[in-house]
Amino acid sequence: MNGRLNKRKIAFIFIFFLPLFLGLISLLIGSYPIGIKDVIKTLLSIFSSNNEIPDVYRDIILKIRLPRIILALFVGASLSVSGASLQALFRNPLVNEYILGISSGAAFGASLSIVFFGKNFPVEISSFIFAFIAFFSVLLISKGTGSDIISLLLTGVIVSTFFTALLTLVEFLASPYSLQSLFFWLMGSLSVAGWREVGYSLPFMLAGILVLSLYGWRMNILSLGDEEARALGLNVKLEKIIIMLTTTLVTSSAISSAGIIGWIGLIIPHISRMIFGVENSVVIPASALIGASFLLIADDFSRGIASFEIPVGIFTSLIGIPFFIYFLKRSGKIWS
Amino acid sequence: MNIWIKDLSFSYPNFTLKVKDLSFEGEKITSIVGPNGAGKSTLLKCIGMINPVSKGSIFINGKDISEIKGTKRAQLIAYVPQEQTSIFNFSIIDFVLLGRTPYLNFLSKPSHKDIERAEEALRFVGIKNWKGRGILEISSGERRLVLIARTIVQEPEIFLLDEPTSFLDPKHEFEIMELIKNLSKKMGKTVILTLHNLELAVKYSDNLIFMKEGEIIGSGKTSDILNEDILEKVYDLKMKIVEIDGKKIILR
Amino acid sequence: MKIYKILILLFSLPFTIFCNPIELKDELGRRVKVPEKVERVISLQPEITRIIVSLGCGEKLVGNDYFMSKFDHIFYNVFPFGKKLPLVSISGSDLNLEFIIKLEPDIVFISPTDSWMADKIEKYSNIPVLALSSMGSFEKLKEEIKLISILTKKTQRAEELIFYFESKIRFIEERISKERKKPKVYLSFWSSFTKTPVYYEPVNLAGGINVAEGLLPSYKGTVGTVVNLEKIIKWNPDIILIHGNYPPEERAITVEKVLSDRRLSSIEAIRKRKVYYTFGFWFWWDPAEVLFETLYLSKIFHPSRFSQINLVKEGREIFSKFYHSENAFEILFKRLRCNEWKIE
Repeated sequence: MNGRLNKRKIAFIFIFFLPLFLGLISLLIGSYPIGIKDVIKTLLSIFSSNNEIPDVYRDIILKIRLPRIILALFVGASLSVSGASLQALFRNPLVNEYILGISSGAAFGASLSIVFFGKNFPVEISSFIFAFIAFFSVLLISKGTGSDIISLLLTGVIVSTFFTALLTLVEFLASPYSLQSLFFWLMGSLSVAGWREVGYSLPFMLAGILVLSLYGWRMNILSLGDEEARALGLNVKLEKIIIMLTTTLVTSSAISSAGIIGWIGLIIPHISRMIFGVENSVVIPASALIGASFLLIADDFSRGIASFEIPVGIFTSLIGIPFFIYFLKRSGKIWS
Repeated sequence: MNIWIKDLSFSYPNFTLKVKDLSFEGEKITSIVGPNGAGKSTLLKCIGMINPVSKGSIFINGKDISEIKGTKRAQLIAYVPQEQTSIFNFSIIDFVLLGRTPYLNFLSKPSHKDIERAEEALRFVGIKNWKGRGILEISSGERRLVLIARTIVQEPEIFLLDEPTSFLDPKHEFEIMELIKNLSKKMGKTVILTLHNLELAVKYSDNLIFMKEGEIIGSGKTSDILNEDILEKVYDLKMKIVEIDGKKIILR
Repeated sequence: MKIYKILILLFSLPFTIFCNPIELKDELGRRVKVPEKVERVISLQPEITRIIVSLGCGEKLVGNDYFMSKFDHIFYNVFPFGKKLPLVSISGSDLNLEFIIKLEPDIVFISPTDSWMADKIEKYSNIPVLALSSMGSFEKLKEEIKLISILTKKTQRAEELIFYFESKIRFIEERISKERKKPKVYLSFWSSFTKTPVYYEPVNLAGGINVAEGLLPSYKGTVGTVVNLEKIIKWNPDIILIHGNYPPEERAITVEKVLSDRRLSSIEAIRKRKVYYTFGFWFWWDPAEVLFETLYLSKIFHPSRFSQINLVKEGREIFSKFYHSENAFEILFKRLRCNEWKIE
């Protein structure tokens, strides 16, 4: 037993430093060839100016690659953390931000913003509002119907479909220009990331990830069910609302800056539990770290393999599935 | 410790619980008994504030418990549900540690001291090797014991147990009831339980509360309240009480 | 009839002719039997619609697409009758199949980007559907004009237009042939700075090099692909052209934005401030517009060789020739605010 605990400790230390390590390696990836020494010199030139480094290196490393790497890390962490929290809150392993309508609402909100307010207005606001509306519609509609998880999933599918239909309506009303913009965004891509885009959504993602990570222990209690949670002294209604608001915020920020990237919110928490057990004060931060690394690797493939952009969602599936199967075979019992 | 329930009313869609005036002494074992659907679990959950009470008040030592904040209340009253349906396979020790939550700060985790308490509680309930096992991997009897261990680390004054012996074989039934007896006698706690099994109730309880169709039919010390009339009234069945070797046996 | 046969021979290059009706292979590789003569035409491909109008047989049109009716800049000016055309489709979204069948067209033209339209129409009717597009090539554009002129019996007019077209191109080629240095050009088309066409002949003919030429398009039927910023920086183009056919109030990519984007500051075109608007596609080409564009670009790429050209005069002449409209060019010029471009 101690052996397992020590293995877990080592694993956690590993994933703690992994994002930083991968981030540095990712700075080497890109169409414009820059050697390791020059990359390091360019990084150091943030602190003390270096005339040796050509401006183009600074542009590429600090203005193009770095914001994109940071965005990938935070979007990956956000989606993972939100998936893990929702699974604990709704007591079901299949739950993720798509099934609960959050993704469709966020996508609709973002598209509404792109088409009617133009690309210069921050998409995040509209995205959050409609993600919120979609999520709470799902909760309200499925509330009175007795059996919980099935009605929740059904309602989630219905609300998602509704917002997707609204999205189609928006496409119909859009002019050719914003329509093109919209398609590009919906594909799910980190390619538009500059510091400005990153700057809008980063604070929300960071705040959300921190809150949910610190909330892990109480999520254990909420995952026992409302009655036991109340018996242990929790204000169940209030705490659920806090968690749901935070996950909606974090997910809609991620979606509004990177489009819809599926799959991460579902499998990263599972992989996390397979390695670290189910105790959420470990699982939630672990999911953030693993999710961040995972999306970064997928995005590196996405931009490094060819001269044109391949949607990152393809790689999240291709890379994610073998990992999932590997850990599935080696894990003990996790779910009832 | 004195518990007084006054003008309590709680409704489900097809059922209403009404308690006009009920009081009993603490530091004893009190069993709520009655046929199916009498409202035993409902009353228990109302006492624990697990059901939000719509009408009436529950006083503990003169204080209205609806005025006690969540965490303070959890430090006073602990609740063991009849069925534990965690979806996650928590390790046994983590599961027991969940009971320390009322004492933890909002965003903090259990400390070494908390872990020690948890291990002690597991020993008290008689679980031996808990390391490396999860709560979904153990038998239902052991799970019941772990649940009780979780309530023990909550360090409450009052234990509420809902049908603690249901689905257990006679040996485990006996173990649990002996454990409950220890909670009350050794630790001086107030224990309130609902029981289906009338014989167990009679054997172990200091006080009995009889319920039928959402109402209290009678309550008091076991030796005072138990008679054939009240049994017929509550269970719609003629029963005979026989004393053998100082023990009361109920015959149907 | 003799003239007809000669014309067929002269113009039939990529088209395989078996017998009446003619069988053709379209841009999607489909084999389509088209009737020898067409009287009722539905064109859902704006480029084809514009060709039909310039050939002078616009009255054969019986149905129109949403894009042409709502977004084209000069359609109603050069073809007022177009306002009466019923809408039968929204490109990229849906088409009204029943309505199309009711209109009894002899042929339907679609864009290769709308291959689903062909499937839908063919499934429920016998109407021939032809997916055509220039795909950024003048050779193909000319073939389109020839084909349509054969189908609509306007071969003489087609000859006239093609002759005019080729003579303008020759005019440019002659002046450039002495030029040895060709500028590297990056085209930022459509909605994103990183979206670019893999082939755009006006750039080549005007004496420039499209840095993205040779890349694979994103999917079959389109001519665009998506690159990334690093690639563009690596190419280091001398000139950057921004898609100007979008009305100014709707452009998210503007010359000012590109010039002020700090990530691009090392690119030659940015440093020399050689970032201009050009027309680009507007759901494929307008033959008059693209001819004018080639002149316009040649003046940008090699200003010394074309210093004596008056672009405004040329523009008026070209649009007059194609559309017999006195003010089509003016309307386009105003709509796109070309006074802010480098049109002198």
